[in-house]
Parts: sequence; C-alpha cells; structure tokens
Amino acid sequence: MKIRTLEYFIREALASLRNNGLMSIASVTTVSLSLLILGMFLILVLNLNNMASALESQVQITVYLQDNLNERQMREVGTQITKLPGVTQVNFLTKEDAMSRFKERLGEQQGLLTALGDTNPLPSSFEVKVDRPERVKPVAQAIGQFKGVENTRFGQEVVEHLFNLTKMVRIAGLILIVFLAFAALFIISNTIRITVFARRKEIGIMKYVGATDWFIRWPFLIEGMILGFSGALIAVLLLSKSYSLLIEQVHQSLAFLPLIPKYPFLDNISIVLLVVGTTIGALGSTISLKRFMKV
Amino acid sequence: MIHMTNVSKVYSNGSAALADVTVTIEKGDFVFVVGPSGAGKSTFIKVLFREEQPTNGQILVNGRNVAEIKPADVPYLRRSLGIVFQDFRLLPNKTVYDNVAFAMEVIEAPRREILKRVNHVLDLVGLRDKARTLPTQLSGGEQQRVAIARAIVNNPVLVIADEPTGNLDPDTSWEIMQIFNRINKSGTTIVMVTHDKQMVDAMKKRVIAIEKGRIVRDQVKGVYGYED
Repeated sequence: MKIRTLEYFIREALASLRNNGLMSIASVTTVSLSLLILGMFLILVLNLNNMASALESQVQITVYLQDNLNERQMREVGTQITKLPGVTQVNFLTKEDAMSRFKERLGEQQGLLTALGDTNPLPSSFEVKVDRPERVKPVAQAIGQFKGVENTRFGQEVVEHLFNLTKMVRIAGLILIVFLAFAALFIISNTIRITVFARRKEIGIMKYVGATDWFIRWPFLIEGMILGFSGALIAVLLLSKSYSLLIEQVHQSLAFLPLIPKYPFLDNISIVLLVVGTTIGALGSTISLKRFMKV
Repeated sequence: MIHMTNVSKVYSNGSAALADVTVTIEKGDFVFVVGPSGAGKSTFIKVLFREEQPTNGQILVNGRNVAEIKPADVPYLRRSLGIVFQDFRLLPNKTVYDNVAFAMEVIEAPRREILKRVNHVLDLVGLRDKARTLPTQLSGGEQQRVAIARAIVNNPVLVIADEPTGNLDPDTSWEIMQIFNRINKSGTTIVMVTHDKQMVDAMKKRVIAIEKGRIVRDQVKGVYGYED
C-alpha cells in the first residue's frame, strides 16, 4: 500500500466520522461504557485473586476445644499438636482471652454483649502456625481427630470463600461483558452502515472504475477502528484515574487491604482494553460491509 | 475485441434476458445496440463488464474470459473498460477535475500522471475551463462530458455506454455523439445501447438489434429500424 493511499483512506475515514457526528458520538460512548465495565470487572477479579493468594500465604489454624475439658486434658492436646510435623508455634487462648479479643473487635458496639450476662459462650482454643502454607490443611485435619477437639478452622476457608466469590464475579462479569460487547458491535456496525448507505453511489462508481474491494473497504474499517479505539481510550483514562484515587483512599483508611499496585497493572489493563475496543470497531465495520455493500 | 459464444442469461426469477447470443465485435468498431425495452440490451452490455454473470457461454473481452474470471479480478477487468451511464453518476460534492481524477486515484495512479491525464481528457471533451466547477453547476450535456472524460481517463480499450444521450436534448446529444466519434477514431472500441433513432440513422455505424434476448439483426452502416 502506498503512503498516499493510506493518507487517502484516513482522510476519507475522518471526513465520514465528521459527517456522522451524532452517530459517531453514540458509538464512542457505547464502546467506552462497555469497556469501562469490562475494565472494572477485570480490576475487581484480579484484585480478589490477589487478595486470596495473599491470605493463603499467611494462614493459621484455630483449634477450638470442647467445653468440658480440664486443664490437664487441654495441656495434653497442646502437647500432641506440638509434636505434629511442620508445626512451628502453638498459642493457648483461654475463654477469657477469647472474650476480651471479641470485645476489642466489637469496639463501640460492646453493649451488645451485656445481653449475655455473665456467661461466656466462647471456647478455649489453640492458635497453630505451620512452616509452609500447603501443610495447613493436613495439619488441621490431623488435629481435628484429637480427643477433646471440638473443631478446627483455618484461613483456607476464607481463601476458598474468596475464590468462590471471584468465580461468581467472573461469571456475572462475563455475561455482562458479552452483552455489552454485542451492544457496542451493533451500534458500530450501524454507524458504518449509515456511512456505507450515504456513500453507496460513490462505492458504486468506485466499483465501475475498477477499485478493488479492499480499496473500498479500508476507509470504513479505519472509521470503525477509530470509533472503537476512541471509546477504549476514554474508558482507559477514566479507569486509570479512578483506580489511582481508589488506591490513595485505601492506603489512608484500609492500609491492610492488599490492592495490586498501579504499575504495571494499569498499563496491562489499558493495552487489553485498547486492543479489544479497536477489534470491536473493525469487526463492526466488517459486518456492515458484508451485509450492506457486498464487498 | 469482443467474442461472445452461445451466451445465455437467465435471471433467478426465470426470465431469459439473453438466449444463445454469438457475436464478434472487432477492435475499433463503433456499435449501436438497439431493440425494444426489456429485449436484453442492458444485459448484453452488463455481461461485458461483469455486472452480470452469464448462465452459459463464453465472453472474451480483450482476450480475457469475462464469464469465468474470479470476483477478485473483476476490478482489473474494469480498469481496461470505460463505462458511461444515462444518469451520468457523478459525485456531486467533488469538482469536475476530482470526479475525473477519482477514477485514477482508486487505482492508485501516480499523482503527476493523474494531473497530466485528467487535463488531457478534459481538453478532449472541452471542459478544461470548468475543471474547478461542481457538477451541479453544469448542464446535462456538460455533466455527461465529465462522465465520458472519467470513462476514458484510464485509456480503456473499450467504452461501454448505456443510453448516454437518453436524458439530453437533440443538439446536446449530437455533441456527445461527436465526442464518442472522436474517441472511436483514436482506436477505442465503442458499444452503445441507445433509443435515439435519429442519431443511429445519422451516424451510419454497425447496428445490432436485440429482441427477446436474441440478435435479430446485425448490419454494417445500419439504421435504427424501429418506429418509436
């Protein structure tokens, strides 16, 4: 392709974008909205995954004891736990310790506990740490078999909950994204159809004087790609700005939340969105050209 | 130049537009195609530039079998042809110059070549001084001259015209016909469908008459032969 021909294609595409002003704006808006939502889901899913793996590496096992044990029996359980392979640390927590921690966590809402009166429903427990994350599950299962142990809980459950949540978000996001992608595709192909229709006479003449199909197609393809790319660009700018703000806020108030750092995370998301946007644009054009121009 | 052998065209609705047509048109010929409406004249020229594909038969145009070429090669066939329509088919938002240059731009001709050729053909049709005018500011005859300039700007071996004077008054028609005559004198073959009895009778060119899809008459220095 000659440079001059490329210039011609781009000039034609831009002229047609101008002539279709309102439809062009509608297309760009639809694409940017769709990609904004796609980007939000991407960021959400990736962050949830990130949190899940962060939690996975710092789990400990909590061993709840039956309520009717005496001190000697409790110590017996503790000794057994210490002997298990991989166990690095065992802390004993009395019922009273558990209650004071619980009160701490309730903070200003401690008043709720007055309803309990003097009874303390919380069990005594051990907090067990192991040397490697993959030891957590077998160690917890072994402890669960010990006499006097009510049950065991470990962070794995939270991790699994998180992974389940991620999966649900991912499915919901996927459905929404497919739907929105079709909407974007539809409106872009409609915009191009209007262009094709407005220029059908010109296209007819081009065919009579021997223009190849690709020569006729390119300006429309470029127009579609510009629409898709512009929409994606708007989405990328909005997402980057909001994610930066979000990270700032989180660092101030919820510093423990392990959000993925901005770079290179945002760059990667931006590239994905721009490629998807441009592809949707090209695809929308192709559909219209195939259906309405037969070139 | 053109060799049609046993060419038939049946449209998908079952109507037969051409039935077993065999004809030869030599290089440099000037041929009028005449006949009643719906006789198959338009189909006769449409199969030449592959606007329609024949159902049967072989059509050689300048050595190429038009009936068989791949769709991707159709543009290259058309580059060797010039086509003129009754309704001119100019682009209203492009100047006379740009309308003609358009035919060279879409085949990616070099800019200097375009400038030279467009000015040359505008001279030939007598519109060099209107190069910067928009078609809407021209008379019908002038618009058709622009269309002719566009048809010949790529140096076609064959010019196909579908009732080029159908929308023009007799004087203007005569001017247009003189331009075609000049183009023909330079060696370009011309095939023209027309309903213009006076013109055909006056020009004394070869006349092919088509009725019900068949060639019923093929006369050198022929006449129109129908009463309109």
